[in-house]
Amino acid sequence: MRTERVHSLLQVNGEARDLLAPVPTTLLEALRDSFELTGSKRGCNHGVCGACTVLIDGRPARACLMLAVDVGDRPVVTIEGIADANGLSAVQRALVASGAIQCGFCTPGFVMSLTDLFSRDPRPSREAIRTALSGNLCRCSGYVKIVEAAERLAGLPAGPSEPSGPEATHG
Amino acid sequence: MDDARTASRGPAIGASLPRLEADDKASGRARYADDVRLPGMLHAALLTSPHAHARIVARRVAAARAIPGVKAILTGADLTGPLGGGIVKDESMVARDKVRYVGEPVAAVAAVDAATAQRALEAIEIDYEPLVPVLSIDEALAPGAPILHEGFGRYVKTIEGGGGGNVVFESSIIEGDVDRAFGECDVVVEGTFETQAQHHVYLETNGCVADVDASGRITLHVTCQSVHHVQQRVAEELGEPMARIRAIATRVGGGFGGKHASGIHSIAAWLARAARRPVKLVLSRMQDFEIQRSRHPARIWIRTGARRDGTILARDVRITTDGGAYADESPPVLAFALLMSRGPYRIAHVRATGRAVYTNKLRAGSFRGFGNPQASFAAESQIDELAAALGIDPVALRLQNAMRPGDTAFGGQPVASCVLQACLERVRDAQRAAPPLPVLPGRRRGIGFAAMSHVSGLMGTAAAVQLRTDGSIALSTGCVDLGQGADTTMVQICADALALPVERVGYAPQDSDSSPYNWKTAGSRSTYMTGRAVAVATVELRDRLFDHAAELLECARADLELRPDGRVGVKGVPMEVSFKQIALRSLFHAGGPIATSHGFVFDGPGFDPKRAAVHQLAFANLGVYTYGAHCVEVDVDPGTGAVSVRRAWCAHDVGRAINPGSCEGQIQGGFVQGMGYALTEAMQWNAEGWLVTATLADYKIPGILDCPPEIHPIVLEDPDPTHPVGAKGIGEPSLVGAAPAIANAIRQATGARLHRLPMTPERVLDALDALEASR
Amino acid sequence: MNYVAPETLEAAYRALQADEAVCLAGGQSLVAMMNLGLAAPKQLVSLRRLAALRGLSEQLDGGLRIGAMTTHAELAGLDPKAAGPALIARTARLVAYPAIRSRGTIGGSVALADPSADYPVALQAADASIEIGGPDGSRRVDARDFFRGLFETALNPGEIVIAVHLPPGPAGAGAAYEKLSLVAGDFAIVSVAAIGRETVDLAVGGCGPTPILLAGVAAETDALLAAGRALAASCNPPGDHRASAAYRRRVLPELIRRAGLAARHGVAP
Repeated sequence: MRTERVHSLLQVNGEARDLLAPVPTTLLEALRDSFELTGSKRGCNHGVCGACTVLIDGRPARACLMLAVDVGDRPVVTIEGIADANGLSAVQRALVASGAIQCGFCTPGFVMSLTDLFSRDPRPSREAIRTALSGNLCRCSGYVKIVEAAERLAGLPAGPSEPSGPEATHG
Repeated sequence: MDDARTASRGPAIGASLPRLEADDKASGRARYADDVRLPGMLHAALLTSPHAHARIVARRVAAARAIPGVKAILTGADLTGPLGGGIVKDESMVARDKVRYVGEPVAAVAAVDAATAQRALEAIEIDYEPLVPVLSIDEALAPGAPILHEGFGRYVKTIEGGGGGNVVFESSIIEGDVDRAFGECDVVVEGTFETQAQHHVYLETNGCVADVDASGRITLHVTCQSVHHVQQRVAEELGEPMARIRAIATRVGGGFGGKHASGIHSIAAWLARAARRPVKLVLSRMQDFEIQRSRHPARIWIRTGARRDGTILARDVRITTDGGAYADESPPVLAFALLMSRGPYRIAHVRATGRAVYTNKLRAGSFRGFGNPQASFAAESQIDELAAALGIDPVALRLQNAMRPGDTAFGGQPVASCVLQACLERVRDAQRAAPPLPVLPGRRRGIGFAAMSHVSGLMGTAAAVQLRTDGSIALSTGCVDLGQGADTTMVQICADALALPVERVGYAPQDSDSSPYNWKTAGSRSTYMTGRAVAVATVELRDRLFDHAAELLECARADLELRPDGRVGVKGVPMEVSFKQIALRSLFHAGGPIATSHGFVFDGPGFDPKRAAVHQLAFANLGVYTYGAHCVEVDVDPGTGAVSVRRAWCAHDVGRAINPGSCEGQIQGGFVQGMGYALTEAMQWNAEGWLVTATLADYKIPGILDCPPEIHPIVLEDPDPTHPVGAKGIGEPSLVGAAPAIANAIRQATGARLHRLPMTPERVLDALDALEASR
Repeated sequence: MNYVAPETLEAAYRALQADEAVCLAGGQSLVAMMNLGLAAPKQLVSLRRLAALRGLSEQLDGGLRIGAMTTHAELAGLDPKAAGPALIARTARLVAYPAIRSRGTIGGSVALADPSADYPVALQAADASIEIGGPDGSRRVDARDFFRGLFETALNPGEIVIAVHLPPGPAGAGAAYEKLSLVAGDFAIVSVAAIGRETVDLAVGGCGPTPILLAGVAAETDALLAAGRALAASCNPPGDHRASAAYRRRVLPELIRRAGLAARHGVAP
């Protein structure tokens, strides 16, 4: 495989970015290595874990399964493009506040998937939340607090799983 | 406990604060190993063995060296120092004379970019003489089996463990007279259980960037579970003094026992030293599956006997673990499996013996639970079988035999407190009180229970606290946060002891150059061990503050009290001084900079030779027992064997919940990782020893739709008297209970008892068919 | 590796004549294989600019003409009345995960013919036809003839899937797709698509190199189980790390029963 490089012009987080890279370069590699946008993570590089989730043309996509040269002029939004003028977005603040974030490696992917969900439906059901997140793997949390964060953002009442706090006991 | 010595003074303990670094993680700013870039950085690539067992006969690297852009090449020919590894020193960072598993590194290249490194790998030629591999415990132990480590007898072993042939280590713990006690039992049940190799599947793979200065001193930016352990292992394998190796922890994207120091760290360091340039070595997902570590597969034969009234008198356990190609953590995992095989019960006569064997597969090592998941799958399944044979309710049988305060753990250590009864009752009552959940159409509902115990205290650690010029605090420990929230916990403990808001306590990153020693983030030990060191060091700093305040306020120390937001005042009157004033006094007038530290090695009571014969148990003193219980509801599909966990209740004693939200998150995450162990996760090798489940498409961990929406963590606090705020650990126990609880629920739903993990739909259906056929 | 993104079908056909040229549709399979080192074509012909491959339109008879570049997400979002489209919508909802569904295409899935994939099974049951285009013109091949073997289809070298034509199915018919997998979103161990009412047409996936058709089975428990047992005895399912051949044979009758009854009674699987 030769390493001849081709030129692409990408729209990333509202900015035009030039890329000179071999054809097999994925969008994930372009983001991380050429554009120094390291917030999208490489968890598996074969499209299963969701840690590389970005938005392309407003819909979630695996950056590791998209060739940079095939993106064209479709706008790309990464985790770095999510924070708003006030700092973190509502989705990000909800995840922070709920204790959903542990090691954090999956978090950018979850933020992107939730951002997409809430951009289409500000009051998604529990089922819609779980379906929207069905392609994002988390190994630390068991997903419960992630869903709780989304449910709070959706204005849903506290679920049956909400713990009541530690209790003193002696034996 | 004397009030003056008690650490807690303020509101930080018990607050479910978000992680200190949560904003960084939520915004994508947190820097993990693969996010590190250094000027002039080279890319490393690994050549790995295609054979499960072979001699290396010849190597040719000249063509690879000649490729422009190739800056360093490492093969076994470059390594002449002693072998490294764990307790049994049997490993080399790249293979020397033999390869012993498919995927074992045989060469490494550092080049200007990944493509050049790959071309260099393709130009390296290694000639192998294939040997017959052994791929299972039975093959490894068969008479005349090929031997993996012919030099085993000459290996350095830091703890004696017997072994020989393909046996790595042998251990036993014996209490009482098991054979006589079985004679007094009315009911005896016996069975053999088998568990599989599970993979940690941290979302972030292993890797590091090794930097080098002009003198050749190496600095590793590394995702790891201990900077001190990485420093030690790399120094050992490179033949350098430890002062010439520095390890700095990046943000860690999950560990679970799979990010301990390993050969790839030494490889990166070696290449950087040879190339005199920084080298990045980050494993792909496939490489991480193939090269690093798995959980030990195990075969557990277990026999338990009781009197008709339900008193459990005797247990006999034989455990054989499959340690893979290198010893790594096989000795202590075996030891802990044996230690946990009695379970949290007062069984007077127990014999637990075991051995770890070598096979030509990926080495098995440390993984959340550390032998306890294997032992508890067998032991807690058998408790239910015993209950059925006795006609006693499984929870009642557990309650009847549960340990009580003043009992001793297996091995004779006194246990001051055991809240297992509360844990069992809480999950049982919570399930009964919960609104009934409709059974999925066509399925059968089952409810299952499991009990567990674990430890929180082992090895050594230290913490250092300093008062800054502005009256704020600088805290430093060697405890690496893997994502479970250790950073935040330590800051909460420190802030609480000084009645400060947590924002006023700064926390240093883990750097072997400056962080106080910590053995590892492992063994559920961080909150107890390092948290204890933090608490004691902070109380000592508080004493120094009081010394200064007494001088400044011209009063007796006994008249002083700590006030919120960094002040010390005289009780009953408004007179006070600020931490800042004290700092300035110390720096410019009297006393000098205020800094305290506290270090200790676990000092609990050890095994009691009057109670237990402990033979070749491969760990130092450990303890601080915790207890827990799980209850799960499952729906089993009798047409396909599919099992769906509908709800779970997990009660765990954490001593004192420093950050309740973190405790809950650990319990829920551990349960789900245990559910994967129970139902879907298995590393599988083919007949040639190739791992066929080396991608996330093939190795399936639970996704959100596979998990119960309700996992109820019940956090109980039974404070430990040896810890200034009473805290114990929580990292591992919640994984331990999942598989046996689910197995017991399947049994309750269908009548079928499964003895093998994972309990895939196929295995469940086979068990249902067998049950049907036997009727 | 070269990359071209032609804007006309003629340009695409020319580009496909290059040495080791392959189509790049959604990339969800091809790029994954490239990342794993399992595929290294010399020329990638991106289909994303080809307007002729787009478009999802309901036909007068209630059927669908589905352009090859229609994503799974677009199909999953449909809520059609006719049984054929309902089957494809239900199937699309079970393919992988949202981010895959927003990029993966029906044309890409059909052309790849992965034996564990979902669409080939549904399209066989629904008696769809595949519209194929090439330098020599276009033609239609029934889905029931299109899937020839393991990753092997009726496509000749240089041809492209243009569209999938999905008939409405029998009037008043129902549709169901039963998918058994180890975890949600995974490839199927065994899957069954059913369409019909008193009798159903079934297609089975995961039990051989191509989907297996069972046409005209009475939608009653005994008949469905009997058809399933006969198929289980005669087919040659693979054994792999997900499940053994014996297990696939074992569950096949039950899954056929479920799919057939669900199609008949209109119960969504």
